[in-house]
Amino acid sequence: MGFSVVSLIVSTLRMSIPLLIAGMGAVYASRSGMMAMGVESMMLFGAFGGVFTSYFTGNVLLGFLTGMVCGAAVGLLFGLLTVRFRLNQVIAGVGLNLFMGAITTVLMEVVWKSSGNSPQVASLTQAVRVPLLADIPVVGTIFSSLSINFYIALVLLVITQYVVFHTPFGLRLRMVGENPTAANTLGIPVRGYKYTAMLICGGCAGLAGAYLSLDQLNMFVQEMTAGRGFIVLVMMALGKYTPVGTVLAALLFGFADALQINLQQAFDVPSQLVQMMPYIVTILVLTFGIKHVKGPAGTGKLPEE
Amino acid sequence: MCQYDIEMTHITKQYPLVLAVDDVSFRVRRGEVHALVGENGAGKTTLMKILYGMTSKNGGEIAIGGKPVNFKKPGDAIAAGIGMVHQHFQLTPVLTVAENVVVGEERQSWWNFNRKKAIDAVDEIIREYGFKIDAGRRVGDLSVGEQQRVEIIKALYRGAQILILDEPTAVLTPQEVDELFKVIDRMRSLGKTVVIITHKLKEAMAISDSASVMRDGKMVKAGVPIAQCSTDLLAKWMVGRDIELDSTRRAQQFGETVLEVKGLCCRDRHGPVLKDINLRIRAGEILGIAGVEGNGQTELIEALTGLRTPESGQVLLRGEPLTGGPLQFLQKGVGHVPEDRLARGLIKDLNIRENLILGYQWSDRFAGRFFLKMNDITAFSRKVIDEYRIKAPSEKALISALSGGNQQKVIIGRVFEENPQVIIVAQPTRGVDIGAMEYIHEVLLNLRDAGAAILLISADLDEVRRLSDTLAVLYEGEIVTETPADTLSEQEIGMYMLSGKMDGEEVLADGKTA
Amino acid sequence: MGKPLNRSKLAHSANTAIQSVGALLIALILGAVILLLTGANPLGAYGAILKGSVGSVSAFINTLVQTTPLMFTGLSYLFAAKAGLVNLGMEGQMLCGAMGAAVAGAWNLGLPKFIHLPLAILVGVLAGGLYGLIAGLLKAKFGANEYIVTLMLNYVATLLMSYLANGPLRPEGEINVATAPVLETAQFTKLVKNRGLTAALFIAVTLSVLVHFFLDRTKPGYEIRAVGRGRLASETAGINIARTTMLTMFISGGLAAMAGVSMVLGVNGRYIEGFSPGYGFNGIAVSSLASGNPLMVGVSALIFGALRAGAMVLNMTQRIRPEFADMIQALVVIFVAMPALFQVVKTRAKKPETEPAKAAEKKEAN
Repeated sequence: MGFSVVSLIVSTLRMSIPLLIAGMGAVYASRSGMMAMGVESMMLFGAFGGVFTSYFTGNVLLGFLTGMVCGAAVGLLFGLLTVRFRLNQVIAGVGLNLFMGAITTVLMEVVWKSSGNSPQVASLTQAVRVPLLADIPVVGTIFSSLSINFYIALVLLVITQYVVFHTPFGLRLRMVGENPTAANTLGIPVRGYKYTAMLICGGCAGLAGAYLSLDQLNMFVQEMTAGRGFIVLVMMALGKYTPVGTVLAALLFGFADALQINLQQAFDVPSQLVQMMPYIVTILVLTFGIKHVKGPAGTGKLPEE
Repeated sequence: MCQYDIEMTHITKQYPLVLAVDDVSFRVRRGEVHALVGENGAGKTTLMKILYGMTSKNGGEIAIGGKPVNFKKPGDAIAAGIGMVHQHFQLTPVLTVAENVVVGEERQSWWNFNRKKAIDAVDEIIREYGFKIDAGRRVGDLSVGEQQRVEIIKALYRGAQILILDEPTAVLTPQEVDELFKVIDRMRSLGKTVVIITHKLKEAMAISDSASVMRDGKMVKAGVPIAQCSTDLLAKWMVGRDIELDSTRRAQQFGETVLEVKGLCCRDRHGPVLKDINLRIRAGEILGIAGVEGNGQTELIEALTGLRTPESGQVLLRGEPLTGGPLQFLQKGVGHVPEDRLARGLIKDLNIRENLILGYQWSDRFAGRFFLKMNDITAFSRKVIDEYRIKAPSEKALISALSGGNQQKVIIGRVFEENPQVIIVAQPTRGVDIGAMEYIHEVLLNLRDAGAAILLISADLDEVRRLSDTLAVLYEGEIVTETPADTLSEQEIGMYMLSGKMDGEEVLADGKTA
Repeated sequence: MGKPLNRSKLAHSANTAIQSVGALLIALILGAVILLLTGANPLGAYGAILKGSVGSVSAFINTLVQTTPLMFTGLSYLFAAKAGLVNLGMEGQMLCGAMGAAVAGAWNLGLPKFIHLPLAILVGVLAGGLYGLIAGLLKAKFGANEYIVTLMLNYVATLLMSYLANGPLRPEGEINVATAPVLETAQFTKLVKNRGLTAALFIAVTLSVLVHFFLDRTKPGYEIRAVGRGRLASETAGINIARTTMLTMFISGGLAAMAGVSMVLGVNGRYIEGFSPGYGFNGIAVSSLASGNPLMVGVSALIFGALRAGAMVLNMTQRIRPEFADMIQALVVIFVAMPALFQVVKTRAKKPETEPAKAAEKKEAN
């Protein structure tokens, strides 16, 4: 099979979508001083919830909504564990990831009497055709083959950039993330802001998860997020915790992923070796790309009494 | 004018292990400046945090302006017209002055935050009180004194009628203290009530109208008019006995040069941090370094203990250049009492025994090639605990269970028992009680008398003046003056600390005074 | 002065134990609630787990078989945690160890058992240790976040081993995705005939004692603990943090590798793809429940070994996935780490006069 630039671009964008959406959520979380180690679990539960609803209702839209709600629920749970119960954020992330990985497998058996993956469900198959845009040669081809979730990601980017840097909410959110004690002494409800950020983060991560199960695929597969929740965090750090930077970093990663798939199709390389690429890229970014990037100063801290 | 603005009665605060505030009543009249005096750990800050709604109380009543209140969070206190400037500034370096001030009460539409509007609002207060500060600058670029002004502006922006200042002078030069006192005077003339938490008695006497004294969680003197106080009386109430803090003894004679620093320069990512430092310390000498924090002290300490590699210049120990990392410096006999006790000096989750070998874990007194000599370590620990009067149940007690003073004694004991030729001592008495402070000063002077060369770096000007035989001032990474102790007045040293020069002196292009 | 603090120390260890037991109980109760919600009978399920784990000699042997790898990965996580490192890559390190042992165990060099077996173990441990060292190196030299690096390395190891077991190392005509069988001379002595219980269990017990003494009584052990509890203070004290970090990750990786080695040279007799139901990640829960005490890792691993052995029986009888055991473990990880959830034994001293020191400390912390 050939190696076409257009298909490479399309698959780059497609591969980036879940990272873009989850990344926007992670920006809220990190700006509020949360490490968001639980993004992986929010995505996974979102993916599961989406398929669950789609299976029983046959309605994809409801599936996506359920995915968001499921993700948001796990996000809030992460917030409660780390803020209300003062659990270490890394431990909370690890614990939730293990828990969600296990419970989705247990539930698959209960719901579908199957262990590895769910049956096929109604999914998003239609790409969105934006009038005018679609008529441009080449570019039109690219945009016509993208799902609505790509445009949702773009809208999220604009909203996030505006909210974080140009609203009182964003200013307070950043204050909470930089110095929770200071925010507290000013009467800003620190916990409330952290919970809100985690709800948004979880909602986005859940949507990203539902994208994986209802758009990229049409079923739930055990551990289907495959580390993307952690990759998002690394890409966000590479993007200096800004929405635009995160998007650019996610596109870089999407490119590595797309290249991997194209290489697999183009050459006879063992699939396992090629599949390692996204993970190795992540390790390289982590090692060489974000050495001088500092997250918000209050990351992981709670207001002192 | 007899109305009380603050009335706290029978306040009690119980922490899991200690009764921090024990049945304390505290009243402040409207429009007065009231000094709340006490040692570190006496309960002053806890009492004020209770007033500010940051800390919950276990019992007692609070009334503000005659109305009973029950603050659950700082927001309630702010709404009632109380502002508090904390000892550790509650600012965010990456945000601007204006953003730090208005955040949480932007007075703008919820969907759009306009930076220009925020700066205008803050500028209004800056003009009204005559502060000198640019509302558009990043807080991270400001000096300590300026940051304190931002904190006060924050409270005033929120319409504070009562302002609580927690140890406001601890980090300021004498000149900055004067400026702060002018601001406080201005607030008094505007009818605001000010509470100053302090353990600096001269300052309490200088600015306040009345004083209250706390000791061990109890109020020992409440609301005494300042005319009836003196520093001696306040000190006596504060400590519960007579203390002698002004006495000192200078070195009789110096020996040969032990440590010599030649043309030391260091830089970090933002530029030079130490510029051409030249120092020498002789046996039996304490060289004190004064300076406002952040003028290169940390970098100097790091360079002299092997934690930072200098860009150029040399550190010589008895003529031999010192190179390598902290391990090499320690092994050659450079002792180090770090400025941040719990970050660099001790490991709070390890016990006394384990902390007493920290830095000397390579020594054959404590370890063979592979195994630790547990019996020797235990015997050594018991000896140090005994000799340095460390109050601890046993050598297995965790460092976190000790008071600041006893923690510091663990470090002092560890370093001094090694008989180092040179000791770099930084902030040796920060946050310790007066008893421990007296003791640590005594031990330092004794070691000096025994012939050690000591470099003392402290933000506490009184301490530097008391202990040093030779005094140098560090300003923006440079030694701007070095003289025998007692030749400069407190005001003169303050001038050097603040501007790197005496008034009227010409500053040459390379920053050196003429 | 001495008494209240000694009492508080006693209370501290009591609290640690209560925290562990309490967390386990809460996890089991929550597990029951989840079972109830999915329509299963929790009492029946827990009964089946008990029966399948300690209900008979045979069941108990199964428990011990499951306990062995869990002890290794539990020690692995604990060891890294002592140096303040979060090693989430035990799964990958274990796979490397397993593959190393499988390759070395299949070498037909005519070696006697007392050389071949230790050699195979060594190769496995080195493989896992070096794999752990990658994360240690990146952390020490570049400051790369070790928990994300180790997580990523899990995926890499899984894919790499899958490639090896599918391709180059798969014998001609082999139906399973597996390597060539390990020679008799490289196999652990079986303690019970035809069962997976081997002498590897003794190695696990010995290692937990060794780890304890290493951390407590040796110079490198002291340095590891110092770095773990206070990086800056350790740096100031002249401890080489980079070297300590790398050493820790090498040893931690080696310990995790032993889990794989014990499976390959003991239970399975070869590398079979997917042999691990997540022993690597289970190590986190094992270490948590043991609250960082190497001597308690055995007890903790036994509890989770029983849970896993029971859950496998449960799967056959009640169609509840064995991942149910992972779920309980995840809950334990969360609840054990929750601060002061079970402060039943209070460490309250009423009189401030005895400890004015603490007041000062409290204030300073503020």
